[in-house]
Amino acid sequence: MIDPRRFDSVLSKIIKSEPGIRKIILVDRTGLTIAHVSKFSYVSVDVDGIGAIASAVFMASAEQGSNLTIGGLDIVTSEFDTGKIFASACGRGILTIISDAEVNIGMIRLLMRKANEELSSILDEFLAGQPSRTFSGIDSKAPEVRTGLEKDELEAALRELEKF
Amino acid sequence: MRKDAEGRHRFKIVFYGPSLCGKTTTLSWLYHKVDGLEKGKFTQLADPHGRTLFFDFAPMQATTGVVFDVYTTAGQERHKHQRKIVIQGVDGILFVVDSSSDQLQENIASFEELTTHLGEDLGTTIPLVIALNKRDVEAALPRSELIERLKLSNYPIYETVATTGIGIKRAFQSLAREILMIQLYGTKTSQNS
Ligand SMILES: Nc1nc2c(ncn2[C@@H]2O[C@H](COP(=O)(O)OP(=O)(O)O)[C@@H](O)[C@H]2O)c(=O)[nH]1
Ligand SMILES: [Mg+2]
Repeated sequence: MIDPRRFDSVLSKIIKSEPGIRKIILVDRTGLTIAHVSKFSYVSVDVDGIGAIASAVFMASAEQGSNLTIGGLDIVTSEFDTGKIFASACGRGILTIISDAEVNIGMIRLLMRKANEELSSILDEFLAGQPSRTFSGIDSKAPEVRTGLEKDELEAALRELEKF
Repeated sequence: MRKDAEGRHRFKIVFYGPSLCGKTTTLSWLYHKVDGLEKGKFTQLADPHGRTLFFDFAPMQATTGVVFDVYTTAGQERHKHQRKIVIQGVDGILFVVDSSSDQLQENIASFEELTTHLGEDLGTTIPLVIALNKRDVEAALPRSELIERLKLSNYPIYETVATTGIGIKRAFQSLAREILMIQLYGTKTSQNS
């Protein structure tokens, strides 16, 4: 498995490159938050919940476009009183940028395109071996052999389940 | 099963079933009343009347390395596209049946839709546990009739009352156990309980 810190370094680079960006979240297409960086980390937010909605919003828009036969989805933009949210396809994931309201949209688009190039292959590697039901239909291969550590963790969870 | 950037195993569980069968109530009870699972925030995308528009979501941590991401679907017919999105990448399904006698057709339709989405994986590589909910209502159909009409005899079945929590914990434990067992040993462990 690849080192997840590689996501952080790419996301940190993006967030530093544009002053209007407050937060960046990378999610997969099933709602799972993979990585996130924030400029104001003292504001505690519920990243898992935000990631789940970010993924769902993008997937819902893509579905809408497909139902209306208007093609593939590039970017979803949401404008709020004091901020904007941009979500764009990023390989097998979705990149979500939360910014100030007056951010330069052209710059965001450019950043998202660059991030896509950089993150797609890391994401592919990261998600390799993880189920890809979303994209390739049914993926029912038997679970790969677990490493000792993984097995211990899953067995610990199994024991924990009996307790509550 | 997926892993997040912190290396935790993440399993996606979806509560599926017809509109108003008790999916949100079931998740809410688990979230608020069951100790022993550490929970993240409860996210609800609902209309002003509390009816689910897209999904409810709550991550529940069994151990530091294993998290169950639990979702409910929106049951109304017009939300079928949302349901398709919510079950992407699902690792296990709790199908919630509304035992009320006037809901039989709705249960059947919902179960058929679920079967269409997941095909042969349902109940094999993606474990399925049944919650026969609203066992307390006066017009509840007999358990045997529900099992027969919905063709549920091959799955673990729990009778539940989501409003008071009866059966909920055991149904959830059973599903979570099945999911972990498949990951560990690649086998289906339990039959009808
Ligand atoms: N009598 C009874 N009512 C229930 C039960 N479970 C849910 N309800 C009620 O059914 C209604 C719909 O429940 P909800 O959880 O919102 O359904 P959902 O559409 O599946 O999410 C609410 O008024 C609940 O209080 C149950 O086991 N027994
Ligand atoms: Mg609901």
